[in-house]
Amino acid sequence: MGAPTEPVEDKLVALASIAAELHSVMGVVWSVSLAGKNAKVISAQAGDKGLGFRPITESIDEISQQAIRGVDDISSEALRLSKIAVHEQRSIDAYQRFNSVIKKNVDAKYIKTILPAVNKVEQSMRASISEFKKSMNNLTLLLETMDQCMLTARAVASVSRIVTSSGQEYRDKLTVVSNDLDKAARYIKQRLLNSYRHLNNVNAQR
Amino acid sequence: MKATTIYDKGHQWIMFGRDPEKPESIIDTNQYMIVAGNRALLMDPGGIEVFAPMLGAILHHAKVDEITDIFASHQDPDIISSLGLWDQALPHAKLHSPWLWEGFLRHFGMNNIEYVGIPDEGNELNLGEVDVRFIPAHYLHSSGNFHVYDPKAKILMSGDVGAALEASEAPLFVEDFDEHIPKMEMFHKRWMPSNRAKNDWVKRVRTLDIEYMAPQHGRIFKGENVARFIDWFEALEVGVAIP
Ligand SMILES: [Fe+2]
Ligand SMILES: [Fe+2]
Repeated sequence: MGAPTEPVEDKLVALASIAAELHSVMGVVWSVSLAGKNAKVISAQAGDKGLGFRPITESIDEISQQAIRGVDDISSEALRLSKIAVHEQRSIDAYQRFNSVIKKNVDAKYIKTILPAVNKVEQSMRASISEFKKSMNNLTLLLETMDQCMLTARAVASVSRIVTSSGQEYRDKLTVVSNDLDKAARYIKQRLLNSYRHLNNVNAQR
Repeated sequence: MKATTIYDKGHQWIMFGRDPEKPESIIDTNQYMIVAGNRALLMDPGGIEVFAPMLGAILHHAKVDEITDIFASHQDPDIISSLGLWDQALPHAKLHSPWLWEGFLRHFGMNNIEYVGIPDEGNELNLGEVDVRFIPAHYLHSSGNFHVYDPKAKILMSGDVGAALEASEAPLFVEDFDEHIPKMEMFHKRWMPSNRAKNDWVKRVRTLDIEYMAPQHGRIFKGENVARFIDWFEALEVGVAIP
């Protein structure tokens, strides 16, 4: 007997969990976006003195916009994937039941009349299996892009700390912004990691 | 799944049930089908678990595209939770069921079959060679509920009314009515919620000429046992079996 293994999470639960993880990220992403807007205001207020901050504040804003779009895309892809998975499950179930009818009733007078329906179910099953694969790849790609985006966010946050340390007047304000950004990026990365874990559970069942 | 032809004069009534492969934990059900020429009406086709044995049994008697109509007396899972599968097997069929349950029954998955809501007062369905009537049986036990009456065959398919809980190898017909009572009593006291609805139904079906009363569970009542059942049911106080 091997070591007890953790029970495998159901595929549909795993997909719903990804959507939930990403949903919880949304609020954080909005605060990043707010941080970005604040950063822009700060650099505008700084006038000529703020020129040095401008590339950084613009990067923060850009990254937050990218993050919002990314989270949105991931959530809707995860939801789409859940729907496809339900459809796939149903067509596989129907296909198996139809086949058991054929296997057990070869002697039935009208058994052949069910074949068109079986073919249709089989087609629909294959279509949803391939749609599922496509959507899984898409989701993986989106998660990777988001992960990259968060890496960039953390890099921008640390660069902005260096830049702000050279300016005086607006340093404190921008430090707060960059700390927020870093905190949010770390939080989101953790959620992404959880999402990957759920996604692996989905893959493990295929 | 055993199939028994209970009527065969021009058109047929076939009863499906007593499935030896049925899992022990699910309630035994009777499914019925009328075959009239090249049209067939499938009545209370059953739950997901009986779908495959049912379809297999049906294909001994009718072609898939001849099953043009399905009837669901009410919304219960043992009646029609197989709908999502029939929807794929019989995409061109029509489902006749209480109008009240449409939005609920669609939760079982219905993308192809057409829902034909039966109005509260009931109506008729023409199957080509035979007309059947949908007889109101509301609150027996479901708030929207119908039975099927075939005036030519004199058969009333009575859904959960007349149901008995017994072993799946039980005979098809009630032999000794008095002996049968204990198998029905608790079921009707508990599941049928309204004496008023019961009496209304009793009054209505007494006007029908019934040779066979065919419930969804248990045994078929034949001849004078039909009247005995109606009298017994009329006298029974229902909606009271709460501990
Ligand atoms: Fe019922
Ligand atoms: Fe029932």
